Amino acid sequence: MPSADTDDRPSGELSERRAAPRRSLIVVLPENHVVSPDRLAEGLRAHGDQQVDVVIACAGQPANLTTTQESLGEAQLLFAPAGTTTEDLRELAMRQAPGDIVTLLCGDVVSESCVDAVSS
Amino acid sequence: MSAPPQLSVIVPVRDGSATLARALTAILASELPRNDYELIVVDDASTDGSAEVAARCADTVVRLSGRRCGPAYARNRGAEQARGEVLAFVDADAMVRPDTLPRMLRMLSDHPGAHAVSASHGHAAAEHNLVSEYWNLLLHFGGQRQTGTSGDVASPCAVITRTAFLSAGMYDEWRFATAQLEGIELGKRLEDSGSDVLSSRDLEIVGMRQWNLASVCQEVWDRSVLLARSLGYRRTRAAVPSEVVFTLRPTFAPFFALLCVVVFSAAFLPYLNVPAKLGLILLGAMVINLPALLFLVRRRGIRFTIAVAPLHLLVQAISGIGVCSGWLLRAMVGDRAPDVTIQAYAEVGVEVWPPVPRAPGC
Repeated sequence: MPSADTDDRPSGELSERRAAPRRSLIVVLPENHVVSPDRLAEGLRAHGDQQVDVVIACAGQPANLTTTQESLGEAQLLFAPAGTTTEDLRELAMRQAPGDIVTLLCGDVVSESCVDAVSS
Repeated sequence: MSAPPQLSVIVPVRDGSATLARALTAILASELPRNDYELIVVDDASTDGSAEVAARCADTVVRLSGRRCGPAYARNRGAEQARGEVLAFVDADAMVRPDTLPRMLRMLSDHPGAHAVSASHGHAAAEHNLVSEYWNLLLHFGGQRQTGTSGDVASPCAVITRTAFLSAGMYDEWRFATAQLEGIELGKRLEDSGSDVLSSRDLEIVGMRQWNLASVCQEVWDRSVLLARSLGYRRTRAAVPSEVVFTLRPTFAPFFALLCVVVFSAAFLPYLNVPAKLGLILLGAMVINLPALLFLVRRRGIRFTIAVAPLHLLVQAISGIGVCSGWLLRAMVGDRAPDVTIQAYAEVGVEVWPPVPRAPGC
């Protein structure tokens, strides 16, 4: 980590801080990727009882978006053009996520036939 | 529910977007299976988009806002989020080799008494300018002197069991708000609690930071002052073998000190002219630094050594003055501590995020 002294901003800003960290969960769904409800539930459970802001970042039209939304409840959707890479999706979503502690969950690749089945 | 990963790799970063991507890519290229570790990046209030760069690879990104509290504080916040039984701390300007982390884990499991393993800087520098190459070689020289139980949880890359880390009281975020020596201090506390810190000459990382004359001098000054001020006289002496700016072998110290006195005394003889006196002083200084200079000759040849010899002497001079200043500050002002507002918040016990720095064990 680059080293340098701490800055000299007044520590009065402590009073502007929150009592607890805000948590976000980013679900990254590049093309032909899905995430199972179990993994989503696990991702949410990892934060315990705390409120979690969810951001779903998709490239193109995701296969099981409705299922994903149902599993997550209220979520912020972020649509990127088809072909957007996983890394770019993660970066885009990070810019939107409000959390102090942000967990990123990436979907798994599915075959074309599975995508068709899930979509139908 | 899936089992927690064996290892949590924690990378603190502050305005390090230039090197962070390469550091994270190197971790991902590790020979460890991806499911065996989680990657946590702690962004210490960066303003250069480091958090977005981190999100491209990391499993978790911890964003600290407001005041920048330093790598010790950032590592502690990362450790609080970690799920692994073993924690690895890797700097954002360090590239691990593919086998570094697996070998560190193996060393940890092969030595039951050890609870931490440190890697050191390799001789190669990612940045090819004279100062960066010199400083990396000096860091490498320092690392090569440490083997077996070193007592230094080296800053660029170290693994430590979560149990030992927590029982030692984590990094000292109270006094070490800057990026120097928090590893040495943690190593001493681990040793005091009966845990060994292992290091091996083969465990190396590649430093990516670009150094120039000013930054090297600043680093040496900060390290030396902090070392003496925060560790005190006895612990400074104990920490000297771990500290790269002291390149003199401890066993040679009395002999060289005597030689130095003779040479320096001769420099003040009235019948010698100024160039001769300066020559004598330089000769004495070169003799004192012989082990480091010979190392530089072996590694990069005589021309490189001659080119960096003045810089090395400057580093030694700054280091010596820094240590004396540190001891003086310790005697006159006392140990380092955060500003009074932070101290007041800590005393009251205010619960905020990011949390107020706290002293080890509090």
